[in-house]
Amino acid sequence: MSAEMANEIKLISGRSHPELSDKIAKRLGIEVARTISLNYSNQETSFTVGESVRDEDVFIVQSTQTGDVNEGLMELLIMISACRTASARRITAVIPNFPYARQDKKDKSRAPISARLVANMLQTAGANHVITVDLHASQIQGFFSVPVDNLYAEPSFLRYIRENFNPEDCVIVSPDAGGAKRATSIADHLNTAFALIHKERPRPNVVGRMVLVGNVEDKVAILVDDMADTCGTLVKAAAVLKENGAKSVLALVTHGILSGNAIETLNGSVLSALIVTNTVPLGDKVERCPKLRVIDISPTIAEAIRRTHNGESVSYLFTHAPV
Amino acid sequence: MVRNIVVLGGNSHPALVESVCNMLGLPPCNRILTKFSSGESRCEIQDSVRGKDVFIIQTGLGGNGSRLNDHFMDLCIMISACKTGSARRVTAVLPLFPYSRQPDLPYKKAGAPLFKAGSESGKKDYTFESVPATPAPGIPQSDGLGNANDITNRLLKTSLTNGAGAMSPVKQSNGDAYFGVNGVNGVNGVNATRHLGSYTTHDYENVSHVHAFQAKPGYKQWVAQAGTLVANLLTCAGADHVITMDLHDPQVQGFFDVPVDNLYGRPLLKQYIRQHIPNYKDAVIISPDAGGAKRATAIADSMGVQFALIHKERRPTKITDRQNASMMLVGDVANRVCILIDDLADTGNTITRAAKLLKKEGATKIYALLTHGVFSGDAINRIQASAIDKVVVTNSVPQHEHKALLGSKLDVLDISPIFAEAIRRVHHGESISVLFNHE
Repeated sequence: MSAEMANEIKLISGRSHPELSDKIAKRLGIEVARTISLNYSNQETSFTVGESVRDEDVFIVQSTQTGDVNEGLMELLIMISACRTASARRITAVIPNFPYARQDKKDKSRAPISARLVANMLQTAGANHVITVDLHASQIQGFFSVPVDNLYAEPSFLRYIRENFNPEDCVIVSPDAGGAKRATSIADHLNTAFALIHKERPRPNVVGRMVLVGNVEDKVAILVDDMADTCGTLVKAAAVLKENGAKSVLALVTHGILSGNAIETLNGSVLSALIVTNTVPLGDKVERCPKLRVIDISPTIAEAIRRTHNGESVSYLFTHAPV
Repeated sequence: MVRNIVVLGGNSHPALVESVCNMLGLPPCNRILTKFSSGESRCEIQDSVRGKDVFIIQTGLGGNGSRLNDHFMDLCIMISACKTGSARRVTAVLPLFPYSRQPDLPYKKAGAPLFKAGSESGKKDYTFESVPATPAPGIPQSDGLGNANDITNRLLKTSLTNGAGAMSPVKQSNGDAYFGVNGVNGVNGVNATRHLGSYTTHDYENVSHVHAFQAKPGYKQWVAQAGTLVANLLTCAGADHVITMDLHDPQVQGFFDVPVDNLYGRPLLKQYIRQHIPNYKDAVIISPDAGGAKRATAIADSMGVQFALIHKERRPTKITDRQNASMMLVGDVANRVCILIDDLADTGNTITRAAKLLKKEGATKIYALLTHGVFSGDAINRIQASAIDKVVVTNSVPQHEHKALLGSKLDVLDISPIFAEAIRRVHHGESISVLFNHE
């Protein structure tokens, strides 16, 4: 067709999080491309393309579905590879929750650095660019030799806190030493106090003893972390904060993976609310857990896609959340 | 006892790993290979692999509860872990290579899609040049001039600006949809479900999504081929060498930049024919489709047995017997024992349909010899109900469940000696071509 029609945004959605893709598409004022993924009865994934991507700017949105990470990852790789075969001009993998982000170092002998493997696989499949949200360790960007835009949920969190609480009554708490940087950044922006919980972790997914560093007495303690998986850490941290005299405890978490018995754990905890973004599909968890609240991250992702497509800077999004 | 070699098994086929290890006289490498509750694979290799020659056995099994993509990711993670653990060389042993056989066309329940289906859907798509056809049975029905909206939609479509308009009547107008368009909505609805609901799919969650899918007008939908990707991913994970068996397309070997040893199940099958089929010299070896003719003739020639071929009729035919309408036998099987040879049976549709045809043509007894018996979906029931008297497969994928269900109808050939010998030879740098011909 006409010249200005060439090289448009093509938004392709994986099966893991169609709601997010729909929201992004709506925000961008486009339609999700006509593609479909299926599993054959032998469990091989097949990806059917129903419209041309030749010379288009392709964005493939695929999150991780809790419990089905590998399925989603293979699907994403097949989608990327298919678009490359179909002569897309550029392929951007939009992975709100980067899979295997926690397996980012060789913490013991012969442990796999799966995050690097995923990075290599994405590039092998043909991704030219990656957009993600709150990487567990920003060093993962170094595993790639293609550009990686790591967006932050922080501006959305700041707005949420400002809208719902008086920052002066709050204290921002990091549930572990690793997240101190993330939490202090929020505390600095709000000009509030900061506290830290030190924990010993004997084995993965098992939480040890916890010690509070800082004062939370008569304050609203806001736990800040990048992901809530089994929620063991958060719930124990909340209990520690309550013991130390916090008025109430809530948690702001970017990725609500909420696997295993997370919902039951949350329901039985002293946490008054868990606020997550919709980077991970939550399914029926919102109904099952009255404490769970969701911040929509799609405006940030959509804006990043728009800016990437138009060759504008995305750094504005590191400090501002589009409404 | 072989030194400096580590055999590491995935979760897909523990029995084969054990049997290969027994033959090599060494214990399998200790490892933890599970899943975190988030769904990410957890892999820890507990024995040292530094400077070792590592062989990782993981078959491309899927279906009936087994997760193919999980197994494949596990394999890549294990390869990568061994590589970062300073293994000297990592060899991926994939008795059944995943994603080696993918149809070009959207999969229909009727097994491998026929060309007819494709051309049909091509014809049904509203293209730039489309003109409204005269309605007749078998001729695509136009969008209909029922109301003004339809016309607007069609105009929109012809200018290719937007494909969102209602277009289902155009899409699924095969012969019998003719009656569905003008008002008889019931027929149309039923027809649509049958047509679009016929994907062999395990994608329960998005059934509505599947039904709603339609390609943009004027664009012929296609299915991504993952073979090259899988090859690249294995190399990217760090595999230095790949050992597999009976690749569906020998060309897959060329997708790799690392050496690929493609072993053959053929000697085993030949041995079976010699030992277990009485008067096999008088039998006929059948290839159930043209693609497998080469495999089947190779066996037929070397054993001096007659050969016949089942040909999929690709010209549009108007035969009402849907099951066999598209199949044609080339050769004579009347009052003979038939031996069907194929490399892989997944849904079992091809071989069961072939068997039906052979029975109709007067075959006395039908054997089906396959290298890979995946038997996903309702394959077991289909085979149980079919005219096949005996199915013979190798244990390139675990067969004990199939054996339990099929009983004496299934014979399983053990491939672990071939793989053990291949591993031993590769490790010592000996030629493995002797394995290609051994009888």
